[in-house]
Amino acid sequence: MPTQPPVSSPSEARSPGAAPARPERDGTILEARNLTKRYRLGKREVDALQDVSLKVRRGEFVALMGPSGSGKSTLLHLLGGLDRPTSGEVVLDGEVVSHLSDRDATRLRREKTGFVFQFFNLIPLLDVYENVALPFTIAGIDPRHGEAAARIKDVLELVDLVGRERNRPDQLSAGEQQRVALARALVAQPAILLADEPTGNLDYATGGEILDGLWRSCDERGQTIVLVTHDARAAAYADRVLVVGDGKIRDEIELGRRAEHDARPLIMRLALLGL
Amino acid sequence: MARRLRSALTIAGVALGVAVLFASLSAGSTMDAAVDRAATDEMGHAALRVQALEERGLSQEALSVVKRAAGVEVAAPALERKTYLAASPNQTPSSTLPAPVTVLGIDPVAEPLLHDMPLSGGRLLIATDAQDALITQTMASQERLRLGDTVTVSGASSGPQAFTIVGIVAGDGSLPDAAGRLVIVPLASAQALFDSTGVTRVDLGTPPGVSADELISQLEVMITTEPYLLQKTSDTADSLRAETADFRGTLLLVAAVVLFAGAFLVFNTLSMTVAERMREVGLLRAAGTTRPQVMSFVLLQALVLGAVGSVVGVAAGIGLAVLTLLWVGSTGPVALNGPEISLGPVLLAMIIGVVVTLAASLEPAWRAGRISPVEALRRGPAGAVAGARLRWLALVFGVLALAALAVWPKSSASAAEARGSGGLTVDSAMWGPLVLYGLLLAAVLIVPRVLRPLLRLVGIPFRVFRNEERLARSSLARDTSRTALTAGALVIGLAMVVALGTAVQNVRQIGATWLTETIPGSELLTSIRPISATDPIRDQIAVLPGVKSVSPIGLFGVPLAGLRQQAAAIVGKDFADDGRLTFVADGGDRAAALAALDAGGAVIVPQSLANESAIRLGDTLTFTTGETPTRLRVVGIVAHSIPGDAQESILVGWSDALGPFGASGADFFAVRYEAGQESSARAAVDATASQYALEPADLGRVRGTVGDALDRVFRLLDALALTAVLVAGLGMVNTLSMSVFERAREIGVLRAAGMSSRQVWGMVVIEAGVLGIAGSLMGAVVGLLVGGSLVAWSIGSLALAFDPPWTSIALAVLAGVLISVTASIYPAGIASRQSIVRALQHE
Repeated sequence: MPTQPPVSSPSEARSPGAAPARPERDGTILEARNLTKRYRLGKREVDALQDVSLKVRRGEFVALMGPSGSGKSTLLHLLGGLDRPTSGEVVLDGEVVSHLSDRDATRLRREKTGFVFQFFNLIPLLDVYENVALPFTIAGIDPRHGEAAARIKDVLELVDLVGRERNRPDQLSAGEQQRVALARALVAQPAILLADEPTGNLDYATGGEILDGLWRSCDERGQTIVLVTHDARAAAYADRVLVVGDGKIRDEIELGRRAEHDARPLIMRLALLGL
Repeated sequence: MARRLRSALTIAGVALGVAVLFASLSAGSTMDAAVDRAATDEMGHAALRVQALEERGLSQEALSVVKRAAGVEVAAPALERKTYLAASPNQTPSSTLPAPVTVLGIDPVAEPLLHDMPLSGGRLLIATDAQDALITQTMASQERLRLGDTVTVSGASSGPQAFTIVGIVAGDGSLPDAAGRLVIVPLASAQALFDSTGVTRVDLGTPPGVSADELISQLEVMITTEPYLLQKTSDTADSLRAETADFRGTLLLVAAVVLFAGAFLVFNTLSMTVAERMREVGLLRAAGTTRPQVMSFVLLQALVLGAVGSVVGVAAGIGLAVLTLLWVGSTGPVALNGPEISLGPVLLAMIIGVVVTLAASLEPAWRAGRISPVEALRRGPAGAVAGARLRWLALVFGVLALAALAVWPKSSASAAEARGSGGLTVDSAMWGPLVLYGLLLAAVLIVPRVLRPLLRLVGIPFRVFRNEERLARSSLARDTSRTALTAGALVIGLAMVVALGTAVQNVRQIGATWLTETIPGSELLTSIRPISATDPIRDQIAVLPGVKSVSPIGLFGVPLAGLRQQAAAIVGKDFADDGRLTFVADGGDRAAALAALDAGGAVIVPQSLANESAIRLGDTLTFTTGETPTRLRVVGIVAHSIPGDAQESILVGWSDALGPFGASGADFFAVRYEAGQESSARAAVDATASQYALEPADLGRVRGTVGDALDRVFRLLDALALTAVLVAGLGMVNTLSMSVFERAREIGVLRAAGMSSRQVWGMVVIEAGVLGIAGSLMGAVVGLLVGGSLVAWSIGSLALAFDPPWTSIALAVLAGVLISVTASIYPAGIASRQSIVRALQHE
């Protein structure tokens, strides 16, 4: 049962209605300390992550970049409390989340994290509004009234889906569906948004729309974002890029907050690193 | 994992269907064998039996005529009477009567030629024996009698007579009616014991080359002085078989319904497999696999599922058959042993199992063959049974049902003959299953149309769980074909349970009303031998305080239009005073008809016979009694008459009964007490009755016994029909598991968005609950319709106001819902426990 519905969650970025205040940039909201994740493959043990540590500041847009199998998605799952590390810990918004019970991890996900995945995974029989409202309905909050309704309206504006509320997912394009998924992830104003290859299933132009949406939520609303991608163009939207390889953070590239997201500087840096 | 589970569930579904089918077939053939055995036991090697119709039996003259007939090699006359063992001096008197014994007087020379009498000790009777007897092993152990002991039996006016036991017949002996308590004495001694000169029957043996039919045509000309009945072994078997036909027919029908539910499971499973393997099939097609090859993959899978299911089903069916036969114990007069396992039913059940599985897989196979490679590769696994053609499935089963009816056991034909048996049995002959099947098919076709609004309606109470209810409903609506198929199986299973319940309720009610309507009293005093009109018993009971009336009723056979018809002798005035018998419209004037009966020359017929033989008020019925036929005028037609052995009796006055029909007395007395005095007067009546060897039976108890026997049979049928609901439950597990499997990633996202594992669990359970309630409600409605039609059709005009057993129906619905919810526990567990990360990676 929900102990604290998202609407009343005392997170500083959660004032209802109007756009939230811009948060401080220096405070750490997410920290990974010596994370190791080991899987068994038959009789063999494989380290998907080895002793990874990182910090993400409030309002920061961080990209985890690396080739397939580098461990970036595993890292994202651990950061969002979807999985547990073999060793090490994750601290999210002051709370150690890596060893929570299923019940507490569920609460944490409901209150502090939002996820966007490569496959949009909308509920096909629910319309756009209902899909976006899911975090509220899951928490037992009526999404048709009050603050919840205002927030839904707000995120639908952000992802430019006003007027499509009654459409079912099969009546939307792939890009629109992913925008619904993005709105769903943002609607509860999570402390951190975790996006796993959100443009992986989209064409170039549509992918750009999603990245723009992500960037706007970060830049205008101070949403902290961790994006997993193997695409330099997507990573170029981030303030900072962590290059993941063989279960470790190989490099860190500081891009800084920029209004335009030209990928060339990043690509050059990556080239210099031999990636 | 999901596939293995699905295959296992499907095999279980097929196996359950085949098990019930095999149990039905096996029980059927066991009954057949028992019937044949009973018929052979009764008739022995005799080609023909001449059976006396009158109480006094066939006269010596008739017997000598029979013996003279050409082609008669052996004639074995016998006299059969029921009596009691005379109380031994050291026996304590008790108010309850001991079990009666049957005395069979035989010709010691002729009898063994036609009837095998295997002995467990001593010797057979010989011509010179007079006061010697054989008894059965059963009786010997019951009464602790041994060879050389004396057995004393009560007789008529001559009083008890003692016989020395010279031989013990193995087992129960050959008279099924005697229930093992049989004393065999020389014919002359039996006649002396019972003051009789007649014989009950003469069994005739013929030399090879002489057929029973030849003998029949000869005897029909030769014996004209008294009524008799000619009976061949096959006739005996047929009449016994007719009594079991309804039960066997219903068993098969239930089996058909369970198989039908199993077919849903097969259809659903293969449809899911096809949908799931869409991409695989696309690849195969792209690599050059032909349509027929793709179809044959699916059919092969069905064949394997069907074959394995059938083998498992037959194995389980053997156990089920044992349980069924144990539970039923006996059907009518025929005792049943363990199941007869012969190759026939085994093969038949297996073939039907496989054929049904293949039939159900044709559509999915055809659909698999139609998959376009490009489409499949592009879209991947799509909406599982999208476009599943329910109507197509219904058509297949329509055709199958017709085929099944074509090979419906011959018992159905005899069941149809036995329809006149008065409605105490639910008739399930030829048309019954067809109508029922048709109704079930129609119901299945309607399911998809009403399901959606019904789901919405049923979901209302679950709205308390806003999120879970909405997601559950959306999941059910995702694939309406699959949901409809899953609900469909539940609907037919439950419909069957409710229909049977409704039918038995009605039959029970009719049975209850019937007795009340036709018996002028609340207690019956039954005698094992007719009590003559001059016997003072009746008066002695009538004068007891609190007794209002004592009405004698005699049952006997009368020859009408070449058939034995059951007749009952009654005192018309008693019925008039007591307000019994309901005359149908245009069935004559009640008072006049009952008075005419007492005056003689009149007869009242039950409506069932009137309809069957087109008898109208005012007609004259001619009974072939002896040299001069007896003609009686029909003065009334009644809705229900006194129940006889196998049919409703025609009612005659005592003057006619004792005169031309040769009845010798009353078989029971109906006692009516003064209002409010029954409890006080009963003891005296029962004690007096007991002195005269009359067995008192409360009418309520008689009713209860009839009802209990019915309940026993129907409970079995209900249990078997519940198997269909169980199969539907397996289908539910299958569908929900598939649904959970298909939505794995979606569930992963919901979990990532903060849905707790408990909420996920609740979502799946609510999904099952909503579907279970919807399916069960529909099943109940369909069941009521089917049950109503069954009652209306089988009992026709005898049907009373339709009064369904609401409590049982509510229980059945509850069972349906519980099974559905239970079915969801496993898939719900999987859904709630699955790792979010793995779910998100699921393809």
